[in-house]
Amino acid sequence: MLDLALKLARSRVLALLAVAFAVFGGAALVTATGVLAESGLRSHVAPGRLAGADVLVAAAGVKQVEEDLDAALPERARVPAALLDDLARLPGVTAAVGDLSFPAALVTGDGQVAATPDPQAAGHGWSSAQLSEGAVSGAAPAGDDEVGVGSAVAAAAGIGTGDSVEVVAAGQAATYRVAAVVDAPGLYFVDSTAAGLAAVAGGAGAGTVDLIGLRTESGIADAVATAARDLLPTGLTVATGDDRGDVEEPGAAAARPLLLVLSGSLSGIVLLVVGFAVAGALGVAIAGQRRELALLRAVGATPRQVRRLVDRQALAVAAVATVPGVALGLLLAGRLRRLLVDGGMLPAALPLSVSPLPALAAVLLMAAVVSLSARAAAWRTSRLPATEAVTESRTEPRTPSRLRTSAGGLLVVAATVLAVTPLWVRNELGAGVVPLAGLLGAIGFALAAPALLQTAGDALAHRLPARLSPTSWLAVANLRGATLRMAGIVASLAMVVVFALTYTLSTTTLLTAGSRDVQAGTLAQHRVTAGALGGVPGDLRADVQAVPGVLAAAPTAGTTVLWPYTELGEPTVESATATVLDPSAAGVLDLGVRAGDLADLTGATVAVGADVARSRDADVGRNVDLVLGDGTPVSARVVAVYDRALGFGPVVLSADLAAGHTTSGLAQQLLVRTDGSPAADGALAALVADRPGLALTAATPPGTTLADAPAEVWLNLATITVLLGYLLLSITNELVAGTAQRRGELAVLRLTGTTPQQVRSMMRREAAVVAVVALGSGLLLSVVPLVALGVGFLGRPWAAGPVWLLPAVVLTVVAVAFLTTELPTRRELRAEPASALSHAG
Amino acid sequence: MSVSAAPTTVTTAPAIALSGVSKVHPGGVRALDDVSLTVGAGAFLAVMGPSGSGKSTLMHVAAGLDVPTSGSIRIDGAEITGLDETRRTELRRRRIGFVFQAYGLVPSLSIADNITLPLRLAGESADPAWLTELVERVGLAGRLEHRPAELSGGQQQRAAVARALVARPAVVFADEPTGALDLTSTREVLTLLRESVDELGQTVVMVTHDPAAAAHADRAVVMADGRVVDVVDSPSSAELARRLIALGQG
Ligand SMILES: Nc1ncnc2c1ncn2[C@@H]1O[C@H](COP(=O)(O)OP(=O)(O)OP(=O)(O)O)[C@@H](O)[C@H]1O
Ligand SMILES: [Mg+2]
Repeated sequence: MLDLALKLARSRVLALLAVAFAVFGGAALVTATGVLAESGLRSHVAPGRLAGADVLVAAAGVKQVEEDLDAALPERARVPAALLDDLARLPGVTAAVGDLSFPAALVTGDGQVAATPDPQAAGHGWSSAQLSEGAVSGAAPAGDDEVGVGSAVAAAAGIGTGDSVEVVAAGQAATYRVAAVVDAPGLYFVDSTAAGLAAVAGGAGAGTVDLIGLRTESGIADAVATAARDLLPTGLTVATGDDRGDVEEPGAAAARPLLLVLSGSLSGIVLLVVGFAVAGALGVAIAGQRRELALLRAVGATPRQVRRLVDRQALAVAAVATVPGVALGLLLAGRLRRLLVDGGMLPAALPLSVSPLPALAAVLLMAAVVSLSARAAAWRTSRLPATEAVTESRTEPRTPSRLRTSAGGLLVVAATVLAVTPLWVRNELGAGVVPLAGLLGAIGFALAAPALLQTAGDALAHRLPARLSPTSWLAVANLRGATLRMAGIVASLAMVVVFALTYTLSTTTLLTAGSRDVQAGTLAQHRVTAGALGGVPGDLRADVQAVPGVLAAAPTAGTTVLWPYTELGEPTVESATATVLDPSAAGVLDLGVRAGDLADLTGATVAVGADVARSRDADVGRNVDLVLGDGTPVSARVVAVYDRALGFGPVVLSADLAAGHTTSGLAQQLLVRTDGSPAADGALAALVADRPGLALTAATPPGTTLADAPAEVWLNLATITVLLGYLLLSITNELVAGTAQRRGELAVLRLTGTTPQQVRSMMRREAAVVAVVALGSGLLLSVVPLVALGVGFLGRPWAAGPVWLLPAVVLTVVAVAFLTTELPTRRELRAEPASALSHAG
Repeated sequence: MSVSAAPTTVTTAPAIALSGVSKVHPGGVRALDDVSLTVGAGAFLAVMGPSGSGKSTLMHVAAGLDVPTSGSIRIDGAEITGLDETRRTELRRRRIGFVFQAYGLVPSLSIADNITLPLRLAGESADPAWLTELVERVGLAGRLEHRPAELSGGQQQRAAVARALVARPAVVFADEPTGALDLTSTREVLTLLRESVDELGQTVVMVTHDPAAAAHADRAVVMADGRVVDVVDSPSSAELARRLIALGQG
């Protein structure tokens, strides 16, 4: 059977190449998505600074969620230092160290800050140096004014033991003597000094440490870990081996779910696009074999045998294409991770986890899609009575299947209903529905298209001018006579239109709406950051406020909160980014408060976006139960509800509430509003220039051009490019194969006296009709989602995006429609008509 | 060797005149070897010969569907060698009609549209009286709006004959026009061709394996290895069968 299937396949090389490409790209996309998903579940941060600790004890980094994946906590909760003694007494433990981290940076002689990989957590106690595996040169620091310096920093700053250096630790600048150079990252202070600095920075308070590291006798780490687990209270986690990295860097580990979310949001679209491309290519391939299949039926093959034959043939091609596809998918996942890391969305410390699972999933999924599409495409021919099959194989089925048409209609209706979501849901989720609704609509259209086009064609046929040129007349006759083929082409090209418009515009509209909020809601003109110092020093705000002409200065920071709520009776936890503000924020930000007052942001209070307030019953005066980034459950009162949630996020925490529950307590930036006078701006600039490690930028980016867009937008655009490229190439192959299958028809025309010019002109006219109909239906399918998007996010009935998008889409569709008919037609015409005769059957 | 089929009526220019035509296919097969052949207007010529003897090639080259390697071909007195594909197509459209073994109708066009296709392509419209006569002749008056797939093989072949005749060409070429038909349909198609010669003065060249079919012609030429090896006037099927068998043995 397979042997026969392959022999039949050989004569349809072009169509099967199209299938192979669709499967190849599909396998790559599915594999890449799968690798991201698997990494989201299973990848581990490699142990870094604390690689020398055999066992690490820390607060549990996850929040248990009923019947769902546990939510990772990005902020560090602390461990009671009192446990140190108990742990040190466990048999086999050779050392127990309480580890602390806090912002620290070393200022070089010329007033620059020596670069460190993680300035937010570069400061540690000297005893932590025991947990690194690095060598120490010099003596332990002994006293408040001595410090051990990591070898990389020392080399960058050009200093060594005995030198005097300026260090900004926990935002406080002081001069230290270098007592030791340690072959490990960071700056190491005397333990008591470190504890004091950590407290100042809002990190581990009195009597607590960030985590406890144990060194054990060799080979018994697991036994010690088990003993430690028995000893410790609940809420703490004990890590050995590869798990240690996750404990050491909770922020990096907590980024893991991003991969899961990303692959989740991609998977739907990837599956739709891949299914569409594969089914389309197989449809063309099998349409080209209708005659052979019918003849097979005539010589005694049963319908099941015919379907099995088609299935085997498709699977054989798919098997060949899947292997390189999976390989490409692994590369693609790597590229995507790089993109995420470069965009600052994923910590560089988090690797991808690659196992055979995604590859296996891709193989199975592609096999299922291919098998299903092949059998569906051969269904009709296989089931007809043998004689009828032979007759029908000369033309195409006249009446499109009723079932197919109604399924398509239903899908279009469902997609339209889905498409109005952005009117109610003004957030990323709402915008994300737009391309999905567009794709569903396009697939529905593909199903209903044969019937639709036949109806439209019959209606139009009566209105055609009586004296058409022979080539136009032939073109129309061909299109009407081959509605199924034409519908396939039109639906594919319409899909390109819908996909490009809805996906791109939902991304850019969300971006525009967000930056509109930020532009309108930011009263401050300046932003002071201190990334190199690990956070804005606490005393900077007073200094800035003292500058003449400065009207207001307020610190802001970002964190994550978990918001448990019930949705449709099911308990759910949403992980949301939250801005941390204090009451002074009202002077620099205008969040569009519609009820309450930001000035009340003291104590256990929050402000929420209007969307959230409505959907989760969180109006002003209500109490909401939240889980802070370190896992602490809190009950907070809502003091304000604001409109500009797209720009500033759905939740604002009061600084009081967040204090002590973030890994670093220092603010990430200081927003400054001046009276606008050059003198004030100058004085502020002078102040910032005077203190090392500070940077002054405009409070809002100057424009909303794509170049300033955040990394998420670029990620989305990269995804669109890859998927669109795949879709376009698949469709191009499919159309070229489809045109090549018309050689018999073209041969008959030539033998009847059609000149090569007339054939070309006829084909061009067909392509023109196809392009126009495809563009029209694609635009029609995109209108509802895009209008809903515009109204929901921008308050106007059109979406925001680059002006070149629509012309580019139109040009692409027209180019594909023409090239995929022109080139194969030219090739066909090059042969003498006598040789074409052998194809006229 | 040179032969000519005697016309039933006397005219000046022959419908087709081949002189010294050779055709070497890519790959070196010499399908035609220095063939000269004249067909007078209003003649019915049958071309016979074993498989692979060059009958189809002869027809393709004579009709301008393929270019000869050497030699000259005149249709209605006009030289066609050296014309480009577009010129040759236009000439075929006007002067030559085709009937093939596999009917060669355009599947998406109705029977009526298929029959008038050559005229339409030339930008002309059919004379309604002529069209009616033609459709009556081929017996398809009731099936004009049907698609080819809805007709029997014999009906499709009759539609193909009507299409070949519609432009009143100088010559109709038929390559095994009855090869795929049953006895009744075969008789119908052959009668059609014969009548077109007798009643319309049409010139017909028909390639066939079947001595009974060839017996409908005024004259039969027999080919072997790319050459014309025998000519039989007013052939009977018994005589033709005898000569073909002799060729097979010799
Ligand atoms: N396109 C081609 N390329 C190469 N050789 C060809 C080609 N067409 C025909 N031939 C060869 O030319 C010779 C004559 O072929 P032709 O088709 O004219 O034979 P025929 O007499 O029509 O045979 P049949 O009765 O089987 O149809 C054969 O040997 C054939 O193999
Ligand atoms: Mg032949």
